[in-house]
Amino acid sequence: MRSPSSLKQEFLKKWMMGLHIYGSLKKKMSLLERKKAIKLSADIAMASARNGTTCWSRALVANASKDEQDKILVQHILGTESERLMKKVSVLPLMSNKRIRSKKVLRRSYGSIRRAKKSNIAASPPNKVLAISIAKRLVRKRTLLLKSLVPGGEFMDEIALIEETLDYILSLRAQVDVMRSLANASELNNKN
Amino acid sequence: MEAIAGTGARSIHKAPEEELTALESLQFTDEIHLLMAAPPDSSSSFTALLELSAPQAVELLHLPESANLISNDSYKPTQMDDFKGSLHFPTDIALIERAARLSVFAGESNNKHSNSEKNSAETASDNSSADPEKAVKSEPAETEYSQPSGSDPTVHKKSVKRKEREKKAKGSAKKSKTAANESSDDAEQLPYVHVRARRGQATDSHSLAERARREKINARMKLLQELVPGCSKISGTALVLEEIINHVQSLQRQVEFLSMRLAAVNPRIDFNFDSIFTPEYMQATSLVDSNFPSMVMPVMWPEAQVGGNRQQCQQQWHLDILHQPGWEREEVCHNYITPENSLLSYDSSTNSATLHSSQSKMEL
Repeated sequence: MRSPSSLKQEFLKKWMMGLHIYGSLKKKMSLLERKKAIKLSADIAMASARNGTTCWSRALVANASKDEQDKILVQHILGTESERLMKKVSVLPLMSNKRIRSKKVLRRSYGSIRRAKKSNIAASPPNKVLAISIAKRLVRKRTLLLKSLVPGGEFMDEIALIEETLDYILSLRAQVDVMRSLANASELNNKN
Repeated sequence: MEAIAGTGARSIHKAPEEELTALESLQFTDEIHLLMAAPPDSSSSFTALLELSAPQAVELLHLPESANLISNDSYKPTQMDDFKGSLHFPTDIALIERAARLSVFAGESNNKHSNSEKNSAETASDNSSADPEKAVKSEPAETEYSQPSGSDPTVHKKSVKRKEREKKAKGSAKKSKTAANESSDDAEQLPYVHVRARRGQATDSHSLAERARREKINARMKLLQELVPGCSKISGTALVLEEIINHVQSLQRQVEFLSMRLAAVNPRIDFNFDSIFTPEYMQATSLVDSNFPSMVMPVMWPEAQVGGNRQQCQQQWHLDILHQPGWEREEVCHNYITPENSLLSYDSSTNSATLHSSQSKMEL
């Protein structure tokens, strides 16, 4: 498994690279611009640390590449890997169409199943059925929510979604740790 | 298909073992191909988990074999041992299940024989619970099996008839079935609940695949629960998902706030690590806990070596930024080796290895 400290190192390296590139491109930036630059570099660095092995990293890079300005930065940070990653990234929209179509078919079949179930479940106690259906609805809602949170989540099925969430949480944690320690250090530095 | 169905009906009533096997294979390859061609229901999802209700789901995760085995005690126990399957052979498993169904209808003696025949070749663990249940349920369905008119209509009719039969079957006084109904909440009856809920779609290969999927999802949810703090105590997919969502949202928000903080700290976005590495800073407890300085050192030095491979603009800033503070950093580094060594004790072996190599380069 990837060790957390090496992940942090790689992230930091690429993040600093991105920041330096940004700094060389634009001399004076407002607060919000700086914040955007920092966040973008951090996200790209995090995604590149996975080197295109995970779906969320590719989706993140894809989203960043949509904006022309950011695309240049992305390519700089990724370096030689950018071409390979862009190819992987272009596959995503194709996959999404197929999944959406099959999902529609499945939803139709689910509707008929639900109807059949309702007519059949006269025997079992209604409370349990109600609880189960409510719980199902909750879970479905939350799955959708999770899909919206994880970049590229809409294209994944359940199993992949959980794996991607795992990886994404790990990367986010590393990112937060590095950023927090850097922020603390800089603020301490400024106080002195 | 009628001829095949007719032979199938004959096989049900006669039930000689060899005929069964041969005819079934004829009978069901078409249906199986149809079934395999059907789209996998990838979105059946967590809701499938929920039918279990949480403790049952965890139990299923832990004791899949025993749960399946226990739940089928009311049915033919001999079938359990035989049914240990690999899900890699869905066609064979489907055959087994049909065989089980037919054999149930045909009679006890034939059951064991035909089952042992078929199941000696394959073993199906997940089938075990599904088969007897489906066997019982499809008993009435098999009586009308001789009347279908086409391959597609057969499949549809079968599933429709199964639904009807299950309606009637629920009202029937079959002990095993009512036991299954009543005990649907028991942990051991989990597989029944799954299969019954999916009866509308329930073709054999599908239910197997679904069960495998659910177990996969269960295993991964467990991992997630361990990762997210405070989730291991929670039972229930919905609540666990909620915790995970909250965690991800909070992490994302933290990234936003931290980037804002960092933007506010510096008028230009450059972070001089040499200025950051002051002795007071090193003694700060927050840094001792994080491996920040030890992280930064190996990060910055390899860059100087890698710089030659990069593009021009990167080389430029390597020259500008790294060399000036770089030389300073070297001096700083020699002073800081001793405090860093204390930090190194917190590092993992990989970290310390890189640090040692970079430090040796430094000393050269």
